[in-house]
Amino acid sequence: MTALRSGIRRTTLALPVVLFALLALAAPGFLAPQNLANIIGQITALLIVSLGQMLVALVAGIDLSVGSVMSLAGSLVATQADPLLGIGLALLLGLLVGVVNGLGVAVAGIHPLIMTLATATFLQGLAYLVLPIPGGEVPASLRSLVNGTLWGVPQPLLWCALCAGAVALLLHHTRLGLHLFAVGAQARSAQLNGVPVVAVTVSAYVACSLLAVVAGIYLAARVASGDPTMGASFGLESVTAVALGGVQLTGGVGSVLGVVTGALSLGLMTNGINLFGISPFLRGALTGVLLLAAVCAQRRKVVGL
Amino acid sequence: MLQAARTMPDTLAHPAAADARPDLIVVQGVSKRFGSTAALQDVSLRGRAGSIHAITGENGAGKSTLMKLLAGVHQPDAGEIRMAGQRLQLRSPAAARAAGISTVFQELTVLPNLTVAENLVLGREPRRAGLLDHAAIHAEAQAVLSRIGITLDPQRSGASLTVGEQQLVEIAKGVSTDAQVFIFDEPTAPLNRAEVDKLEQLLHALKAQDKLVFYISHRLDEIFRLCDTVSVLKDGRWVATEPIGALTSERLITLMVGRELQALFPPRASTPPGVAALDVRSLTPLAGGASARLQLRRGEIVGLGGLEGQGQREIVRALAGALPPAACDVQRLGRDGQPQAYDPRQGVAHVVALGIGLVPEDRKLEGLYLDLPIADNIWLGLLRGLGLVRRAPRQRAVVTDLAKQLQLRAGSLTQDVGDLSGGNQQKVMIGRWLAAGVDTLLVEQPTRGVDVGAKAEIYGLLRAFVAEGGAVLALSSDLPELIGLCDRILVVRGGRVVGDVPAAEATEEGLLALALVDAPASAPGVPA
Repeated sequence: MTALRSGIRRTTLALPVVLFALLALAAPGFLAPQNLANIIGQITALLIVSLGQMLVALVAGIDLSVGSVMSLAGSLVATQADPLLGIGLALLLGLLVGVVNGLGVAVAGIHPLIMTLATATFLQGLAYLVLPIPGGEVPASLRSLVNGTLWGVPQPLLWCALCAGAVALLLHHTRLGLHLFAVGAQARSAQLNGVPVVAVTVSAYVACSLLAVVAGIYLAARVASGDPTMGASFGLESVTAVALGGVQLTGGVGSVLGVVTGALSLGLMTNGINLFGISPFLRGALTGVLLLAAVCAQRRKVVGL
Repeated sequence: MLQAARTMPDTLAHPAAADARPDLIVVQGVSKRFGSTAALQDVSLRGRAGSIHAITGENGAGKSTLMKLLAGVHQPDAGEIRMAGQRLQLRSPAAARAAGISTVFQELTVLPNLTVAENLVLGREPRRAGLLDHAAIHAEAQAVLSRIGITLDPQRSGASLTVGEQQLVEIAKGVSTDAQVFIFDEPTAPLNRAEVDKLEQLLHALKAQDKLVFYISHRLDEIFRLCDTVSVLKDGRWVATEPIGALTSERLITLMVGRELQALFPPRASTPPGVAALDVRSLTPLAGGASARLQLRRGEIVGLGGLEGQGQREIVRALAGALPPAACDVQRLGRDGQPQAYDPRQGVAHVVALGIGLVPEDRKLEGLYLDLPIADNIWLGLLRGLGLVRRAPRQRAVVTDLAKQLQLRAGSLTQDVGDLSGGNQQKVMIGRWLAAGVDTLLVEQPTRGVDVGAKAEIYGLLRAFVAEGGAVLALSSDLPELIGLCDRILVVRGGRVVGDVPAAEATEEGLLALALVDAPASAPGVPA
């Protein structure tokens, strides 16, 4: 039933498989358990933040503030001794940012690029204020949630499964999910059908910011400390992962599976660059090329195909 | 529309509306403005249960606006709406639906990335334990579709539906809610005959269930066939509400237009046509397709008719350079009788430079700048032939004179074109070409979306244009319009001109016959 708006094509699914096979054949040490665990650890943050980015993309928006939200959330948990207080503050932050972004876009009519670029810049400043230089210490209880295994499963995988499951549930089994697709396809038609467009749009931005908070907490716990620029690259990387996963940046088409493949593809490429010893600076350049390629590869207006 | 009216019986034996049932909807003194335009002024209206109530009037009369107030899309600036005695505050479409008013909008709102079933339940999705109940959605959609008698797979995507199917989904969506009041805004436009019959059965069923149906239409035959009560709006004001039995089609038209409609079409040219503005010896719009041959002379209006999609549009577009033809052999003589190098393959700018203008069917998308004022839209025509960096003449007087000549009905020339009625927009479109000084007009659907009063004025403008040595090629799917407006009518079938009929001798039956079957071998399209 949902195939018509998933945006998934064969190439979308094939890309991570092909990359995995290529790296397994060509890259020394790719299949080493330590490297695979590394990949999972690295991809988890990208996947979580990309899931949120997809929700915003579904309503034809874009959220460039996710990177700053991650940085600030990580800085908050790294500077609070009480993990619950840190998490609480970070979630409150996510809620606020999402509401502001959503209202700016849906009510004030500001273009999502400008709106979220403004909040991104604002929050980056706050992150430097909270934690001027990388440091702080993430409470041990939090660290234990990301580094070990539970029931024999690496904990990062559990974070992925939890977030992906929650977003899939939201998309396919709630009214909000259906409304996200409706608003993204044609906001006015949705409105005439009684869909509360403003509330749906704001909800998308709130969910996106909250997922960015989760990704930020996860990342800070992984490295055990905060960094005010920790999330900086995730804004554009999440957009790239989402585009690679067949999500239409013009709205109305996207899926959890697509985002998973997109994040996997991007993560595998990053890992390959590391393994081959290519300059890490090229990674940023590659992300830009990939974003352009992914968007060009999407047929315009495939809504409903 | 007039044609339809002529064939209508003048009196139909509808039961008189002497129904004692109380009013279900009472609209009292409602006004609504959009910017500088008063869309509705002090309109009052009553509708009772068990009635199909036509709301009619010319384009821009305020029919749709009034219904959008009832549908919660817009909120009135003044006045109130009562339903069964209760005052309603309809702040959103969702609120109107909750109050028991269901609307089938004129614009199609089927979402392409949702299934038919999801489209049908959108905004009031059945849930179980807070989550969507997919089984119930499917079952409900299936039930609604079969109740109305539509065979449509509920799992099909909205994007795969034809326009007619989308309209059926809209109708199904409208009647699937348990509402007391149903609004249908020109529902039959994209439907075929069988679908229209189905819709009419449905409306009668709703009436029998004591529902109130507001039916917006300006198709007189439909109104007389379906409705028991008619309310007429004009220029945003209420004109009359009458039981259908008390009306004749002539009387209804008079109410809509606000005056007796005299000559819709101006008299044809009395002088013989001059030299050929366009002598199309062969025109092949699409590579490998058929070639057309026709001649358009100065002083005449030539009509292009035929069934939809027979290549008329391609011929017009090819001549305009909007769809550069694969091949063409056309001679063009200028106003001075001298041949001009005309080659539509060079594109629109080249064609316009020679004094040939296209009035497109979709003037909102392809013709006008809706966000610019009337004056600027017309003034753009004066820029023809000026280089990019030449100082543009600000000839206010020219624009003002043109506006007078066009009989524009607008508050001022600074009003945005987007706020004008269809007829006034078309006049602005023609006015731009007049300002540009073109001598040949290629017109697609001269009066589509234009109300009766403005139609006559547009016909008059085109006639005056050719009387001064211009030439008009008019494509229209409205046969009475072709016959009334043109001097000659060319019938196109399969990309070829298969008939050339003097309009004075043309009949609808004759033209239709030409459009359907082969004509006797002659050299159509080129007068002897």
